[in-house]
Amino acid sequence: MKLKMSLVGITITLLLVGCAKKELTPGVTDTEILIGNIQDLSGPMKELGYLLPAGANLYFQYINDQGGIYGRKIRMLVEDHQYNPQKAVAAAKKLIEKDQVFCLYQVIGTSTSEAIIPILEEYKIPLVAPATQSGTMSRPLRRYIFQTDTGYDKQMNVLIDYILRQDKNARIGLIYQDDNYGANALKGAAEAEARHKITLQKESYQRGASDFSGQVGNLMKGGATHVIIAGIVREPIIIMKTAAAMGYRPQFLGLSPTMDHRVAIAAGPAGEGYIAANFAPLWNSDAPGPVLYRKLHDKYADPKTLPLGMYSYYGFATATVLVEALKNAGKDLTRASFLQALNSLDYKGGSFPDFKWTRTNHGSSGKVVLVQVKNGKQVEISDWLD
Amino acid sequence: MTELLTGLSQEVVSGIALGCIYALVALGFTLIYRATEVVNFAQGELMMVGAYVNFFLVSRISANLGITGAWMYFIAFMGALLFAIIFGIILDLVINRPLRDQPVFSVIMATISISIILRALVAMIAGPFTHIQSSPFGDGVVSFNKIAISVQDVFIIFCAIVLVILFYIFFRKSRWGVAMQATSADPTAAQLMGIPVKKVYRLVWIFATLVATVGGILLAPKTLLDTNIGFIGLKAFPAAVLGGFGSVPGAIFGGVILGIIETISAGTLSYHFAWIKEINDVIPWLVLIAVLMVKPDGIFGIAKVKKV
Repeated sequence: MKLKMSLVGITITLLLVGCAKKELTPGVTDTEILIGNIQDLSGPMKELGYLLPAGANLYFQYINDQGGIYGRKIRMLVEDHQYNPQKAVAAAKKLIEKDQVFCLYQVIGTSTSEAIIPILEEYKIPLVAPATQSGTMSRPLRRYIFQTDTGYDKQMNVLIDYILRQDKNARIGLIYQDDNYGANALKGAAEAEARHKITLQKESYQRGASDFSGQVGNLMKGGATHVIIAGIVREPIIIMKTAAAMGYRPQFLGLSPTMDHRVAIAAGPAGEGYIAANFAPLWNSDAPGPVLYRKLHDKYADPKTLPLGMYSYYGFATATVLVEALKNAGKDLTRASFLQALNSLDYKGGSFPDFKWTRTNHGSSGKVVLVQVKNGKQVEISDWLD
Repeated sequence: MTELLTGLSQEVVSGIALGCIYALVALGFTLIYRATEVVNFAQGELMMVGAYVNFFLVSRISANLGITGAWMYFIAFMGALLFAIIFGIILDLVINRPLRDQPVFSVIMATISISIILRALVAMIAGPFTHIQSSPFGDGVVSFNKIAISVQDVFIIFCAIVLVILFYIFFRKSRWGVAMQATSADPTAAQLMGIPVKKVYRLVWIFATLVATVGGILLAPKTLLDTNIGFIGLKAFPAAVLGGFGSVPGAIFGGVILGIIETISAGTLSYHFAWIKEINDVIPWLVLIAVLMVKPDGIFGIAKVKKV
């Protein structure tokens, strides 16, 4: 009887062990880590939807070629949200429930990333490096979001401080996109206004606008000597060309989305001297991140289909952060160990300025470097400012 | 006071140039609507396709044939127009012919599908990248009395005026123009009177793609070229309604009015009344509603009475 009981006991114990073994972490096997990425593949930002994952894959391929992380290779699934928050929610659910990804990574856009916050909390799944510089991603603290980029609000503060250091009598104007991107820029502007006891002349535009003569005319009338553009790519081009045509030549500056090499090319002489804030080293600079990026691009990419540039560099840079956290989580990778690794990540990888995530701070370094167009080329003109 | 006047004149001039782009898309709406009573919601995408074809030709001609400068732009322009003609014929075959006896509503839905398909198709063929389209006029600027206008904008206004005059004369004076009007009024009666209705429809689609292509070629250097530039059709639509849907002078008038309202409300009005900034994007629609309350058929529209 005793023997029978102990046999039953052993069987039950074995059964439990078996069950426990079956309860593996989603997306993690002995040979693979599956991560989920939600991009805009067919909407207004489809160019980034192509370039960001392509850049990230350069680094994943490099890591995989070295045998992966503790023998596990990284595989990334990319879903399309067309820049639509509802579709972002559906894509996140699909990746988590059906594909069983280990974590989310690089979800693009402010409103789309904000839309999936409840899902992240429900499934307790981390989102590493959302592809938006909105300060709302990490302030207030989001338990499951870890941001690598310096927020638009912070960038505004740095730009205004910089302008006033150069010229303390500067009159600053701001042209902003009238949506949640612009709202975060306005928040930073309000902080700087209070600190310096100044008032910015603010002009807004609707996304998709192709004429800015009204806004530029107003800034000219208001006598702005420095104009900050919270736009994307075509806005700074059209604004600077319009101003040049009107004979108005203030110093133009812009937030990080305007730091695109096409601004320098398409704006021509009107864009000479344009200064943009950048939250990572410039892709063609000599910092360790960009050097490795160009080396991997040489090795793995076809320049015809994947040109070198800021967006694929950005994808690459965030991948280095993700991989470092995955390594730090150790051999027994679970969501808990990964969260612990994220919450204590001390990043010194050189693809971003050094930063530290803690339980109470999931934000970036808060630093930016200024990039200026000189003779049609972008060059870094400052140290890391904060 | 002079400052206010200079500011306003500058905004009016820029608004006219912007409005002429709306007008060219609106003209496309008008042409198809006049003959077939169909609203072609793919008009903006036709413009996008035209701009892409032109961009492709410009880059191919300079890369493969070594031709640059004015000739490059001219050959590419002609090539794009030729493409537009073929494209118009294809669209007539694909959309118009099979759906001819179906309710107008079905054809409208088909044009919406075509717009989505074209956006996806161009993105697949041309890749996801945003391109810079150079302008044959460079960054040239004409200025007088502190009011500046780029040479590109002057050319846009010129093209819009020429096209509108041509179409106006065409509809009023030419046999084909009259045939189009007759087809629009009553296709069956027109056919009985010996009007080749099928040819009329084909011609209308060719005209619409031609106008759209010219619009796309003119717009691309002003902004960057990507598959979303067709969304400008959403602004051209109220322009066409404002001017009177189906009226050729109405299309340009509506476009220009909306363009001027847009620049003045973002400019002088916002400068003097801060609250205007908050409602900038609804102002064109407020104007549209106000006009339609007074003239339900638009400014140049003719009230149609249908006998039942």
